[in-house]
Amino acid sequence: MKSRLAIAFFLTVSAAAVSRPLLAHHSSSSYDMEHPVNLKGVVSNMEWTNPHVFIYLDVKDENGNAEQWRVEGNSPNMLVRAGWKKEMIKAGDQLVVNGAPAKNGSKVMRLISLTLANGQKFDGQGFK
Amino acid sequence: MESGARVRNHSIIWVLVAAAFVFPLFLFSQATPHSNSVKSGTIAIAPDFSGVWFIDEYRRNILPKEDPPFQPWAEAKFKELQSEKLHRDPDNGPDPTERCIPPGIPRTMLQPFPWEIVQAHDRVIMIFEYQSLIRQIFTDGRGHPKDLEPTYMGNSIGRFERDSLVIDTIGFNDKTWLDPMGLPHSDALHVVEHLHRVDHDTLVDDYTIDDPKAYTKSWTAQKVFKLKPDWQIQEYVCTENNNVK
Repeated sequence: MKSRLAIAFFLTVSAAAVSRPLLAHHSSSSYDMEHPVNLKGVVSNMEWTNPHVFIYLDVKDENGNAEQWRVEGNSPNMLVRAGWKKEMIKAGDQLVVNGAPAKNGSKVMRLISLTLANGQKFDGQGFK
Repeated sequence: MESGARVRNHSIIWVLVAAAFVFPLFLFSQATPHSNSVKSGTIAIAPDFSGVWFIDEYRRNILPKEDPPFQPWAEAKFKELQSEKLHRDPDNGPDPTERCIPPGIPRTMLQPFPWEIVQAHDRVIMIFEYQSLIRQIFTDGRGHPKDLEPTYMGNSIGRFERDSLVIDTIGFNDKTWLDPMGLPHSDALHVVEHLHRVDHDTLVDDYTIDDPKAYTKSWTAQKVFKLKPDWQIQEYVCTENNNVK
């Protein structure tokens, strides 16, 4: 069911044309928190910054085409309280993320939880 | 000799009588700056809420079950916002905090970030991790200043009533939301809080929201906060990476 949802979601994803600097501090209201999805991919970059941490993940769709997703976690402070360390995610690492996709279909997601390649799982919001 | 001793005895009696009158006044004058902790000349110990607190259950809506009694314009604005959100680009959302605007009161306390209470002799200070905001609640008996200029966090005064801190806040602008869902308010917003501890680790704040421009009558909400003895308030710089390219 989850994989079917994910496929349906991928099919509806449209590329967002971006031409100006955009806000990087996103309220969760723009994300579909009721229908989280899983993504598996390879980290291309991580920004350990306020107000929110960003992980850029290269994800292959069902046709094998790579898409870049921007995965938004909470602030570094809250993630450290949830057990994160800045060094635990590096470019090239494989990750599985569970998060809420944008309601408008762009390839961005609000992180709910994250699983490292070694199986360690971390809360992505820091307040559960 | 005998009369001299009598005069001395009388002097001692007068000194004692005078002291009986003056000593309570002395106590009272010492306590005057903390008039909230003084009732009828006896000193009451103000409850101690010091510590780092964190919202117990983060929710986007301050009223989980019902809508507050909206004025028509406020209801229309709120409903429009909810339908707009369905189509919103996350990079261009309507929430003022996405632009690092302070969330105001009560919302700053409800954010999923800790805040600390520090108590001084004349005020209670809330240090919020979120946006590194502070809130000063003056407890020295002063009133609100006249001709307040509107601000995001408002002007707060407080008094201790038994085990509670009663906080009265006015002087808001209308640029913030009451909760993350977007409940609107006007510059007539008046928030009264009863902050009290129900056990060592649990603080409850009962909010009364009075804003006749936005709501037909005042309404109440309750929020619970948990003590986090191992946490410290950390730096939070909202503008550090608030633009992505």
